[in-house]
Amino acid sequence: MSEQKQKPSGLSSRLKNTLDFLFPFLVIGILWEILVRTGVIQLHSLPAPSTLLVKFWELAFVNGILWKHLFSSLYRLFAGYLLAVFIGTAIGALLAQNQVAHDMFEPTLNLLMSVPTIAWIPIFLITLGLGDKTVIMAIFTSSFFAITYNTMRGIEMIDKSIVNAAHLMGLRGLHLFLEVLLPASMLSIINGLRLAIGYAWRALVGGELLAAMIEWGLGKMVYQARYFNDASVMLLGLLIIGFTGYLLDRVFLTILERNTVEKWGMAVKK
Amino acid sequence: MDPIIQIQDLYKTFTENGKELVALDHINLDIPRNQFTVLIGPSGCGKTTLLNTMAGFEKATSGKILLDGKPILKPAPDRGYVFQDYALFPWLTVLGNITFGLTHNGWEKKEAEEKARDYINLVNLQGFEEAYPHTLSGGMKQRVAIARALAYNPEVLLMDEPFGALDAQTRKHMQRELVKILEKEQKTVVFVTHSVIEAVFLADLVVVMTARPGKVKGIVKIDLPRNRSYVEDHYLHYREQILELLEEEVEKGFED
Repeated sequence: MSEQKQKPSGLSSRLKNTLDFLFPFLVIGILWEILVRTGVIQLHSLPAPSTLLVKFWELAFVNGILWKHLFSSLYRLFAGYLLAVFIGTAIGALLAQNQVAHDMFEPTLNLLMSVPTIAWIPIFLITLGLGDKTVIMAIFTSSFFAITYNTMRGIEMIDKSIVNAAHLMGLRGLHLFLEVLLPASMLSIINGLRLAIGYAWRALVGGELLAAMIEWGLGKMVYQARYFNDASVMLLGLLIIGFTGYLLDRVFLTILERNTVEKWGMAVKK
Repeated sequence: MDPIIQIQDLYKTFTENGKELVALDHINLDIPRNQFTVLIGPSGCGKTTLLNTMAGFEKATSGKILLDGKPILKPAPDRGYVFQDYALFPWLTVLGNITFGLTHNGWEKKEAEEKARDYINLVNLQGFEEAYPHTLSGGMKQRVAIARALAYNPEVLLMDEPFGALDAQTRKHMQRELVKILEKEQKTVVFVTHSVIEAVFLADLVVVMTARPGKVKGIVKIDLPRNRSYVEDHYLHYREQILELLEEEVEKGFED
């Protein structure tokens, strides 16, 4: 039997993790506040943390427009990302299973993977317009390649005997894919999903800056603040973009990992 | 003798670095029903290739293998296979691994679980039903693999050096366990090993293969009761006989 690491009780360890996480923000925040208040830093365009907190309160709870920006962004993110998850996994599996398709499309996949998403956006702007479609397409493109490639590699690296065992029990086609190939390559697939959500989040913010017809979204919020010379909204936007990206990874992928690869002993518990 | 598997003029080549190598050279062999056949030979003699061709994992270049008179073309549940590296599904529990083959061959979930529990008892793993494979020792994993392969009731059980990765103590223990399991559950077994001791302890029939290209060098029938010890005189006599056949081949292997 393998040894289980002794873990401290759930609540206190979670509290400690949260405090560890917040510590650098608190230190930098307090230092920054002191430097601004004592007049060591004198930039009227650079607001103090207390100003940011006031602004946050105003945007979140007084007029509430922060949530509208956040949810517009999340809607686009999930539309593009989920589309990439389904199509990418399917195509990745096909490329891993079918030698002809692999030989034909693998080089193309590799080539397209190295094109930065930002370079695709002008093409989407003239073909799909200046609205949501362009941003969703940019998110899709940014995450599709990472998901496809990692699914393909994951399936290719499955132990031959695992696949043989499944074949012998009579599994073929979709059953084989869903019940054997998918769980057996989960480690690599999650790596792809993790890379992809990071790419997707960046593509989203970039897309929102460039798609002129869009009114709502965190990227737009930061961009529009320029017209009002409002650095506090810009900085607040950056912080929220950072936090949300971090939480997307922590919340969704960590839960997925805990319930799959860690439980199955494919990855070491963090 | 009533053969369950007939290997007829089986020929198989591999291409390695652009060179064609003969792995199996026109093999003719009958595997008797409900008996324990061991394939033994120097490493690289193609014994695992022969077993994998019976499983349908690999295709013959020419010749054929018949199972109950029908040619083997692809893997199917009329054969069970125990892999050296266990090949359990890490995402399923012990119970899940054993029911998997049943539910995919027409069993209702509830009946499959009952059946799986019978086999968990047979291999002495009561209490580990909900354990995931990564928490088990090598010997326990291989017992799960044996239960998984037997549970869906294949015609033939193919075993590829199943105890090769285990330590000496566990290995002996597993050999005895396997004999006990097969007393309760009559099965045709084809077992690949390179251990002469293991072969004589387990087999009704030992097929000695030549160094590459693999051919059948000789067949030794082991006429001993099932309850064998490792030190009996007869036992040693069979060992000598097999070793003699093997030694020439091992030497030949070194000359290559």
